[in-house]
Amino acid sequence: MELLECKHLCKKFDDKQILNDINITIPRGKIIGLLGKNGTGKTTLIKLINDLLTPTSGEVLINGKKPGIASKKVISYLPERTYLDKEMTIDEVLKYFEEFYDNFDIERAKKLLKDLNLNIDTHISKMSKGMQEKLQLILVMSRDAELYILDEPLGGVDPATRDYILDTILSNFNEGASVLISTHLISDIERILDEVIFINEGKIVINSSADELRNKENASIDEIFRRYFKC
Amino acid sequence: MLGKLLKYDLKWVYKNVVVLYILAIVFSLLSRITKNVESSVLFSVITIVLVISAIFMAVASLVFCLRNLWFRFLKNCYQDESYLTHTLPVKKKKIYDAKAITAIVAMFTTIVVILISLFICFYSKANLENIKEALEIAATVSDTTVVSILFLMFLVFVTEMIFIVFIGYSAMILGHRFNQNKIVKSIMIGIGLYFITQIFSIILVFLVGALNPDIMNFINTDEIVPTSIIKKIMYAGTGLYIFYTLFYYLLGKICFEKGVNVD
Repeated sequence: MELLECKHLCKKFDDKQILNDINITIPRGKIIGLLGKNGTGKTTLIKLINDLLTPTSGEVLINGKKPGIASKKVISYLPERTYLDKEMTIDEVLKYFEEFYDNFDIERAKKLLKDLNLNIDTHISKMSKGMQEKLQLILVMSRDAELYILDEPLGGVDPATRDYILDTILSNFNEGASVLISTHLISDIERILDEVIFINEGKIVINSSADELRNKENASIDEIFRRYFKC
Repeated sequence: MLGKLLKYDLKWVYKNVVVLYILAIVFSLLSRITKNVESSVLFSVITIVLVISAIFMAVASLVFCLRNLWFRFLKNCYQDESYLTHTLPVKKKKIYDAKAITAIVAMFTTIVVILISLFICFYSKANLENIKEALEIAATVSDTTVVSILFLMFLVFVTEMIFIVFIGYSAMILGHRFNQNKIVKSIMIGIGLYFITQIFSIILVFLVGALNPDIMNFINTDEIVPTSIIKKIMYAGTGLYIFYTLFYYLLGKICFEKGVNVD
């Protein structure tokens, strides 16, 4: 049984077709890049997987089941926005995650926070946007999930922070788990990808092993992406 | 899980409302003190200001409670925080039930605080006698007891406030099924649902009146009606509000469970 399957998945908003007949499978133990320009449907696909949207047609299966309590226990999701209650302190958020997620490792989270010199009594509203994003990443990566879904984790941050984010992802995700990273900043994450999925205008255009694609096209993923999505 | 959700919802809703509760009670107590300290123009003015402040705080607590309940529902279920709420390993119906129970508890406590505040402000032997007399007349006219009258009044007031909260929840759920102008559509749906409910009530009264001439008489004329009719109308009115509250609770829950459309 595959970890994640999307079968003939379509999503329409009013008259606009956002996703059109998406068929993908995500195996276990891989880092997969979901790559595409802005507005090609990456976030919509991720939201469908996480039960934040309902499909127009088709289905999403996680471990053979539709999105629900079972899938939410095994998926650790980092959205592209701040989703924490800004009136909470870091300590309160840690306790919140510990209460709702059985697989949340609070000690790991505290250690990662210590590395950032963050006082756990700080209110989230008093933190900079970059710090809030790092906090969210720490919360997500402190769960022993089967699938980590990171939506644009590198967007809007400086190069040093991007390195921190990638190192945190690589050193903290559960062995045997998969990571699905959506981004349009290919060059930064290319080195860690096992597989790549290119999405364009709501359709999957490439779904391949990263090495195979590089060998076939004799170019880096970043160059292939630029070639493919040239304006 | 329901308990955990409730804990966070109640904490959020009460966060500034509790301050208003405290201020309402404190102003009420101060007004009692100043009333009894000295009978002078200055202290009379101070007492009036304190009474007005107490009433203002009590009303503000109701307004803020309602605002907090709706705002919490919107933020937590349909705005940025919804990305966390809807990815928690919790059934959607439990998320909704936590919000509904929070509404019932918060409205109940707010109304109790308002009543306590008013009681402290206005209690006097003379006032108590006047109220008791009025209630006894009402009890006699409606062939029931004073306790029943008080209980029904309290129940109708609490139920009406909860009914308004649940209309708001249903309106937000239905409004967010659209892809554009979700907030505007939610407000319009909320106003529409409220008016449809009132129109339905009026139609229902006339339908019942068509079957029962005594009730039609009560609607159409100034004639004194039998006490049994007043009692029936009182209990039917209360029952109707409870029905509406349950209806909107279920409407919201069923629609919420069908799935969300988060921005």
